[in-house]
Amino acid sequence: MKPFTFSNRVLGAAVGVLAVGYLYLAFTLEEFTAVSVPVQPATLPKWLGAVLLVLAAVLFFQKDDADEEEDSGEPSGTGSDSDQTGGGAPARPAAARPALGRLTDPRKELALFAASIGLYIALLEPLGFLISTTAYIAAATWYLGYRRHWANALVAVGVSAVLYFAMSDFLRVALPTGPLPF
Amino acid sequence: METLQQMGAGFGVAFTPENLLFVFIGVLAGTVIGILPGLGPMSAIALMIPIAFGMDPTTAIIMLAGVYYGAIFGGSTSSILLNAPGVAGTVATSFDGYPMARKGAAGKALAIAAIASFTGGTIGVVLLMLIAPALSSFAVSFGPADYFALMVLGLTAVVTLGGRNITKGLIAAVAGVMVSLVGIDSQTATLRFTFGMPELYEGVKFLIVALGLFALAEVFSMLARRGAGGADGAMSSLRLNRRELGRIAGPTGRGSILGFFTGVLPGAGATVASFLSYSMEKRIAKDGDTFGSGNPKGVAAPEAGNNAAAVGSFVPMLTLGVPGSGTTAILLGALLVLGVTPGPMMLSDRPEMFWGLVASMYVGNIVLLVLNLPLIPLFAKVLKTPRAVLIPLVVVFCVVGVYGLSFSVFDLWLMLGFGVVGYLMRQNGFPAAPMILGLILGSMMERSMRQALQISYGDWTTFVTSPYSAALLGLTVVVLVWPLVKRLRKGAPATAAGAPAEGAEKEDTTTTP
Repeated sequence: MKPFTFSNRVLGAAVGVLAVGYLYLAFTLEEFTAVSVPVQPATLPKWLGAVLLVLAAVLFFQKDDADEEEDSGEPSGTGSDSDQTGGGAPARPAAARPALGRLTDPRKELALFAASIGLYIALLEPLGFLISTTAYIAAATWYLGYRRHWANALVAVGVSAVLYFAMSDFLRVALPTGPLPF
Repeated sequence: METLQQMGAGFGVAFTPENLLFVFIGVLAGTVIGILPGLGPMSAIALMIPIAFGMDPTTAIIMLAGVYYGAIFGGSTSSILLNAPGVAGTVATSFDGYPMARKGAAGKALAIAAIASFTGGTIGVVLLMLIAPALSSFAVSFGPADYFALMVLGLTAVVTLGGRNITKGLIAAVAGVMVSLVGIDSQTATLRFTFGMPELYEGVKFLIVALGLFALAEVFSMLARRGAGGADGAMSSLRLNRRELGRIAGPTGRGSILGFFTGVLPGAGATVASFLSYSMEKRIAKDGDTFGSGNPKGVAAPEAGNNAAAVGSFVPMLTLGVPGSGTTAILLGALLVLGVTPGPMMLSDRPEMFWGLVASMYVGNIVLLVLNLPLIPLFAKVLKTPRAVLIPLVVVFCVVGVYGLSFSVFDLWLMLGFGVVGYLMRQNGFPAAPMILGLILGSMMERSMRQALQISYGDWTTFVTSPYSAALLGLTVVVLVWPLVKRLRKGAPATAAGAPAEGAEKEDTTTTP
């Protein structure tokens, strides 16, 4: 099973809730009365909310189509994804560690990965670009299972330094410095 | 004959050693910046403007134009190799380019992109030279209602290519338009959907959504696939045999012409052009259902389209002084700083500049081809990077791209949010492209809608009484109904066919109530 894939019923309901919330906000927008205008700030949002609600209802009653699940996604990957689990999985020993990352449950792995980006973003300004980026690249690369630690360290330091000095000295874009003096 | 004479003088300008050097520098810098995910022509030109200061204005615009088409080509390279289009104009290229790269045909895909770009650019320049005056007078007669209809057509055309489920595509498009409305309303200064957060007052920037929905979501699914299935960097030969060239000749030619005319229309730039060429080829091609899984025609058409459109977008900027796209708006700004005011007078006042630019476009296209074909294996090395190293690097590039634009940590959180949304959309068959296009066109659509209704004193029939607008909206209905008809003919289940029809009607009523 692919992680985080839901039936049309669930998706339709979720989009419907969004549409209702959006419509509520659209109807609470204040009217613009200073000058008479043919299109109020709320006009287009009201239409959009209504259209979204109808689309959600259509989706809710649509049959889940196994065929369509395979092809309708981005061409980038979801399609061959199912081939992968279908054809590739039995060949791999059940206990083998995943090629990328360490957890066997892809959902937890993805959540952890998103959290790591969150941590990086949170630390960007307090620690400065150089320190936080070096630490993030090194930690994430190591966690994902890259074995050559020296190469890893070199990439982490090199990329963040090159990016930092190219941005700040050459393009004059000031990235956060943090506690470092440069 | 006068045109030829002036063209000759133009080549005289373009072939001075200084100008040749700066075309080369511009194209090279543009390509390199364009390859980096997140940095597109706009940022590339903006970054190069400081360097252009103090140059002769003709040389400056020649260089900046080189940056423009270099960046578009560079963007298609990262679309094909990483599925991380840094530029909206090359999103359509990734639909078939990336699957080709994953099948091990990265070299062929890049070679096709280079050839199609070259052809598109060259055909674009020829058309620019021949029919710029006539075309600009046609574009002038386009009213706001017609622009609105054109954008509705662009959006629905994208939806029909966003996979089989039109309902999901329409939902994505509507969501994109919704995101574009966040912030201070430009006409009435009303705050909309900002939830009291001042960071949202200026709206959600395109780059944040693009990087989240494409680059970050791609990283997420790379991780979920455990690194399997990605392009492995096995570089196939760049050589295309005669049969392959024959296959892409038609799409390239049609894409170039369609792209150029789309580019001339203000507002509809390289992005709309590439999507339109892609969906047109998908309809025309006998093997249209293999589009999206690595069909070379699906690379050639949008590449020819976006490069021709980049040239086409110079027409309104140079002859009317009205920029046709965000990128040409930046170029216009640069020209004004240099003391040149483009407009109807430019052709007579500064012919050396106009024709020098046109000639340097020819030169730039050749430089682009000569530069890129040998360097392709170097670009493809990107693919040999182990996934465990590549994933954190892509995250860092996204962070730098967004932070360097706005210096705001809030925008980084927003990008992460769009990354998660993009991954969920991808897992559930919602296409991301309509959402991006909805975001780009949304605020422009509202502005045109307002102008149209202001002119007609609030009379909504203005959208069907203007001949252009009526024709474009009619075309929109055809685009929406066509897949339905095709499906009915095949005798597919009625339930699946009934649903998109309802969506189609609904969409139509919003435009012509």
